Amino acid sequence: MSTELNTLIETTSPELKTQEMIINMGPQHPATHGVLRLIVTLDGEIVKHVEPVLGHLHRAQEWQGQNRTWFQYQALIDRVDYLSGMYTSWALSRSAETIEGTVVPKRAEYLRVILSEMNRITSHLLWLGTYLIDLGAMFGFPFYPFREREKLFDLFEAVAGQRMMFNYIRIGGVVRNPPFGWFAKLETFLDEFPARIDEYEAIVTENPIFLKRTKGVGYLSPEVAMSYGMSGPCVRASGINLDLRKTKPYSIYPELDFKVPVMTEGDTWARYMCRIAEMRECVNIIRQCIKQIPGGTTEELRKGLGTTGPEKDDSKDLPPEHMIMAKKQNAGLRVKAGEGFAAVESPRGTIGCYVVSNGSDKAYRFRWRNPSFCNLSAISELLVGSPIADVMAIFGSIDVILPDVDR
Amino acid sequence: MTEAHGAKPAEEAPKELPAAFFGQFLAENGINSKRHADHSGAVECIELAAKDLLPAIKLMRTSADTQLNYLITISGVEQANHFESVYHFWSYNNLKELVVKVIVEKSDVPEGQLPVVPSIANFWPAANWHERETYDLVGIRYEGHPYLRRLLNPWDWDGHPLRRDYKQPVDSLNDKNPHSMR
Repeated sequence: MSTELNTLIETTSPELKTQEMIINMGPQHPATHGVLRLIVTLDGEIVKHVEPVLGHLHRAQEWQGQNRTWFQYQALIDRVDYLSGMYTSWALSRSAETIEGTVVPKRAEYLRVILSEMNRITSHLLWLGTYLIDLGAMFGFPFYPFREREKLFDLFEAVAGQRMMFNYIRIGGVVRNPPFGWFAKLETFLDEFPARIDEYEAIVTENPIFLKRTKGVGYLSPEVAMSYGMSGPCVRASGINLDLRKTKPYSIYPELDFKVPVMTEGDTWARYMCRIAEMRECVNIIRQCIKQIPGGTTEELRKGLGTTGPEKDDSKDLPPEHMIMAKKQNAGLRVKAGEGFAAVESPRGTIGCYVVSNGSDKAYRFRWRNPSFCNLSAISELLVGSPIADVMAIFGSIDVILPDVDR
Repeated sequence: MTEAHGAKPAEEAPKELPAAFFGQFLAENGINSKRHADHSGAVECIELAAKDLLPAIKLMRTSADTQLNYLITISGVEQANHFESVYHFWSYNNLKELVVKVIVEKSDVPEGQLPVVPSIANFWPAANWHERETYDLVGIRYEGHPYLRRLLNPWDWDGHPLRRDYKQPVDSLNDKNPHSMR
């Protein structure tokens, strides 16, 4: 507040308070989608200082990784980022595979890409639904994205056995082939999904209230994004073309033809548009994968084997690229001694895993690099100077998952 | 239990390796580094003396040859005889990547004190939370950090949970303890 205004208030109405006010948001704020506490210093309506208090969801995931065997820990890590469990599993598997030098079979890589791109869609759909609630759209919009999310969850359940905590991507491959008829169901979904995205866009993108709440709000400059080590749609909305699928290609992404949406506005609206465009690209990627997958659908794979039974996934008769596991796992899984870091592009950015292995059945040191953690560390840069009413609009737009922050 | 499988950590190769790209780059600019065995995926790994850390990182972040402007993570590792502070650097602009290690021998740490590594948080905001977390969990004190408080554990927590000799406080989970702040 300006000094003239201060003196004016002090002379005319001395009982009025003009000093800054500290208020507490959370830890159980409905819009934080988890447990985050923000200690906000306000000057009138304007945010002057933010101190995030983390750790309410700290589950010692790194400690658990060091005190459980590799085989046991694989089942736990889906909980690190519960909305995109495929990517946490994939990061762990890739770091162990780079240390081991494992060559993952082609079919397994394709199944990984299909399932994780589906996971990217579900993650963005949940973000879209809840973000509109954060903005105050209490008219039931979330039911639209959640309708499609349920369909994808049914497909996940059919192949991985679980709807969210998949434990599907394992060190060396994936755990099983999809059941009969699964690819056909997925193609039906892909056929109708672009029209559904149009439907969300018809409701949201041109909505004047939405535009008022998001255009020009929460501007993130590329310099700030880079100095805070941010990644994912947040930086792509600020004009930084960082997508590990393109910049540091892994798996089979070099064989696929897709675009990475990059916007230059850097505001909340650009982050929204980036995610919408990414969902459309996911459909494109999955379509190509279904066309190119070695061995074709599960029915075709079994027909080639001369059997229709479900139990021939690790048959010796299969050509190597049709296998789904490089080496069959058992509970005594070991990773040879060495150090390695591997990362994948999750819906929130670069998720990576630094592993120090000493050759035993447990890792010597685990270290997670979480996109939400690094993106959240820039929160004070984003919030300072904006009105309190925009705090949740900006916080929601960087799509932070609190279990991913606290681990 | 922790002693048993922490006894034989991976040790670096004893023989001296020739300097690779980043080692040569630093040598040309007058900073000594020691090359370690490559990380998996043929990623260069160098060890820097604590006093060289900040100038070397400043140089590599801004120089047009290297452009290591993406700090991935800072990890603390407790090995049998020393503490490592491990920095992973990538670039937003090119494919280069580098691992930097600063090593503090346990014999150099005075009894009852924490190992000390210079902080880069004032120069690089991304390091701020990573250093706070490493201080919290591994117990490496980053000298010069603007706000070195615990990040994930409560502020009044005792000990550093990822140390090999860490013992969980008996009353840490007892909500009924009237003296507990948690």
